[in-house]
Amino acid sequence: MVEEQELVTALQTEADKEFAFRELVSQYKERLYWQIRNMVLDHDDADDVLQDTFIKIFRNINSFKGDSKLHTWMYRIAANESITFLNKKAKRNNVSMEKVKDNALRNLESDVYFEGDQLQLQFQKAIATLPEKQKLIFTMKYFEDHTFEELSAILETSVGGLKSSYHIAVKKITEFIKTQDETL
Amino acid sequence: MKENKNISGFKTPENYFESFEERLFSKISEENFPKSTGHKVPDGYFENMEDRVLKTVINSASAPGREKPTKVISLFPKKYFGYAAAIAASLIIGFTVFNTETDNSSLDSLQLAAIDTYIEDGNLNLDLYDLTSYINDEDFNDLNLDDRQFSETTLENYILENLDEETLINEQ
Repeated sequence: MVEEQELVTALQTEADKEFAFRELVSQYKERLYWQIRNMVLDHDDADDVLQDTFIKIFRNINSFKGDSKLHTWMYRIAANESITFLNKKAKRNNVSMEKVKDNALRNLESDVYFEGDQLQLQFQKAIATLPEKQKLIFTMKYFEDHTFEELSAILETSVGGLKSSYHIAVKKITEFIKTQDETL
Repeated sequence: MKENKNISGFKTPENYFESFEERLFSKISEENFPKSTGHKVPDGYFENMEDRVLKTVINSASAPGREKPTKVISLFPKKYFGYAAAIAASLIIGFTVFNTETDNSSLDSLQLAAIDTYIEDGNLNLDLYDLTSYINDEDFNDLNLDDRQFSETTLENYILENLDEETLINEQ
């Protein structure tokens, strides 16, 4: 695996750019994909957002000054792209964000690329009730195992703020699952 | 409670014990959550992704620095440029000198509300990364940030009306 600093230098050198970019895609495609997929739920949407994320990385790599780590910067772009995508989707279909979430969840039940059981579906429904930023924090911490320190750099929020946001998310999910179980 | 006789010298982060229960119970609830998302990807999706992404990147026409230089065949031979420029210049001078009427076609005449609606409808497809590529460091230095744009009372009212507990907790 090529070291990050070397990769940045190569990416900013016109002659090595393409080769370095190929390496970058190969190193980060899966991690970025899952981060995006957890936000947008649908595979095709996730694929679109992932492509857009890489295009943005490619175009803006020359203005990357190394103030943060390269991967931190990429995760941040993916996070912003996911939220922008969901907002645009709502605007395009002229519906509210809530409606977009509802549709995504309904599609999940018949999605061939979702093989979760009833509990996992319930879990996804609970996660979908969270506000966008909280959802991002929860999924990146719970499923992708980022530390709060990493998340703090990616989302430019204090560790304390992230922790309380995460705990609120856990609480909301627990309560959601509990009320669902009672109504069943 | 009996006070400790010997002091270890260790200390805890501020509010560590106050928030301990919250963290503990959240940890316990988490144990019951499913461990995986249930999402899967089509077979072979991650294979050859490098090629697909590179193709998209190269094909996206507006990628700066990616355009191949194309031979340009001029519609008008260069030698006529001088005449054309002279005619255009005299027309402009003539127009400015003799046209004393006010020009209504400027940006000012565009209703601010119309611009607002345009942006709010999401027609201005710019995000943070697009924007920053147009701005250099000097622009930031030239930015004159007026911190007295809103009066304290206005800010106070805004905070009272728009902030809920959750935001406060999240941003603390």
